[in-house]
Amino acid sequence: MTRITLENLGRDFGEFTALANMDLTIADGEFVALLGPSGCGKSTTMNMIAGMLEPSHGEIRFDGRNMNGVPMAKRGVGFVFQNYAIFTHMSVRDNLAYGLKAQGVGRAEIARRVGEIAELLQLSPLLDRRAAGLSVNILQRLAIGRSAVVEPSIFLMDEPLSNVDAAFRAVMRSELKGLQRQFKQTMVYVTHDQLEAMTMADRIAVMDHGKLLQVGTPLEVYNHPADTFVARFIGAPGMNLLPGRVTGGDGAPVIDLGAAGHSGALRLEQTGDILFGFRPEEVVPDANGPLAMQVTAAERIGPRIILHLAAGDHRAKVVLDGETPAPQQGETFRFSVPERSVRLFDAQTERAL
Amino acid sequence: MNRSLSFDIFRYAAILTFLAISLIPTVWMISMAFKPIAEWQASGADLTWWPNNPTLDNFRFIFGESGSELIVALERTAGRPILASLLAASFGTLIAMGAGTAAAYGLSRFGYGGNLPLALIQLRLFPPMAVMIPVMIMWAFLGLIDTWYGLALIYGIVTLPFAFWLMKTFFDDMPREIEDAALVEGCSRWRVFLRITLPMMRPALASSALFVFILNWSDYLIALLLTTRDWVTIPVYMASLSSSMTGQLYGAKAALGLIAAVPPVIMGIAIQKQLVRGLTFGALKE
Repeated sequence: MTRITLENLGRDFGEFTALANMDLTIADGEFVALLGPSGCGKSTTMNMIAGMLEPSHGEIRFDGRNMNGVPMAKRGVGFVFQNYAIFTHMSVRDNLAYGLKAQGVGRAEIARRVGEIAELLQLSPLLDRRAAGLSVNILQRLAIGRSAVVEPSIFLMDEPLSNVDAAFRAVMRSELKGLQRQFKQTMVYVTHDQLEAMTMADRIAVMDHGKLLQVGTPLEVYNHPADTFVARFIGAPGMNLLPGRVTGGDGAPVIDLGAAGHSGALRLEQTGDILFGFRPEEVVPDANGPLAMQVTAAERIGPRIILHLAAGDHRAKVVLDGETPAPQQGETFRFSVPERSVRLFDAQTERAL
Repeated sequence: MNRSLSFDIFRYAAILTFLAISLIPTVWMISMAFKPIAEWQASGADLTWWPNNPTLDNFRFIFGESGSELIVALERTAGRPILASLLAASFGTLIAMGAGTAAAYGLSRFGYGGNLPLALIQLRLFPPMAVMIPVMIMWAFLGLIDTWYGLALIYGIVTLPFAFWLMKTFFDDMPREIEDAALVEGCSRWRVFLRITLPMMRPALASSALFVFILNWSDYLIALLLTTRDWVTIPVYMASLSSSMTGQLYGAKAALGLIAAVPPVIMGIAIQKQLVRGLTFGALKE
């Protein structure tokens, strides 16, 4: 229920720049995932939104109101920590009631709201248990409940699913999304797991080395990565990037991919060195295809087959569905990449062309 | 299989040896405390492990009921020294734990006090005697000699580094997120400290306090230097249990030693649950 604006936001720790000049606007009620490898600045950004960390420069605004210097208690944010930060010396009920008590909410109102949230998160039978002995999965729900019960206008989650087991993670992914729709809060979700970001977020902000690289819907980020980092990071496996050189010039440019062959007939103004990108899933096996690489390994993962390909210095991965007759290790795999699936990147700047 | 059996034998033999070394003097003291004078004064072949005629005479003696066999009368009874030890050690522990916990929290959370950890340790760098002489002069000047509070104050100061370092380690181990979570929910720093941090640190506080208390309780040197008559503590009083006629009053000493062992043992049992539970916080370790 709050619009968050980050303007030229940055944070240094001594010589180290954790976050450099971030601009981002998160709409009211939007679910934004900050996605990136560890150390990319996503948690730093989140901690500054929460008020646990003061920015070195730049501004954070909630609904246009500058929040710099506003203590975290006054920001109206809910925060779910990666390690849950449950008060183990208290019962589940007291944990849930804690924020409401701190705000001076009346006793009857506390009981009602705690009851509601416990019902919603299936914690009702556990209300009088001490939090110390609970399982990780329950602690996780409790952590969400404790933040949600005060009905913050902004919900911040720092890798809340990284400690739970895989099966429960899948359940929580859909539950979290459902909860957020129900509460209609603005949600900022930090994760290094692209699957979580892709399945839950309205928009994904991909970050690396303290820089915001791209913001977009999951499909935009997947289909049109702004640079090679995003291209490699999103998707499993990530996008293939083969170094190549544009030759042929006027009218009929051809991309020379060295040992892998060549690809042509692209609308292209660029000349010189480029990176030829394509998704492993969008390759078409084609006995007369212009590209050919050696199969170095073939993995079967459920219904899919992942081929590891090599040609000279080029490496690529290709995902085929199980129906396709797959080439064996050592054989040559000929294929083509549909023109609409080709993404080109500048070899120097690594930005999309 | 054989190797592990011989290893087990060796292991238990080693454990028994160490147990014997540490427990035999204690058992001897307990036995001695209940022996009549003839038995604890005996030597050589007449010594027995257990008292032949168990008696509470030694206890009666140190509390002033002169036993028939001991002609010596005590100048002071054990009641006052026990009170002195209890007061000085307890309040000394309070001072050390209060100041130490506050300092440790500040340093652990906010990094205040830069060189404080090392500065605190330097008190322990010197031989105790080197520190105690100046302290004696200061205490005399302040009129704190032979008072229980003067003794409590120096106990608090001397054991402060232990309280500080123990608590700092515990605070460092407690995930900050737990406090942040409470802060985000709208609690003041103070409230978080009192309602979240301290309750969660209860096991740490209990074990540190016990450690500090035992240090204070067993001190001899400081009490010897800073008390003279009214507020001598148990260890100092114990040293005085001798006479020119009878020599060392071993039975009386043993009885007093047994009494002195009671408070730490009771405290240990009382907080045992906290000690073994260790520190489990509501957060996962990374």
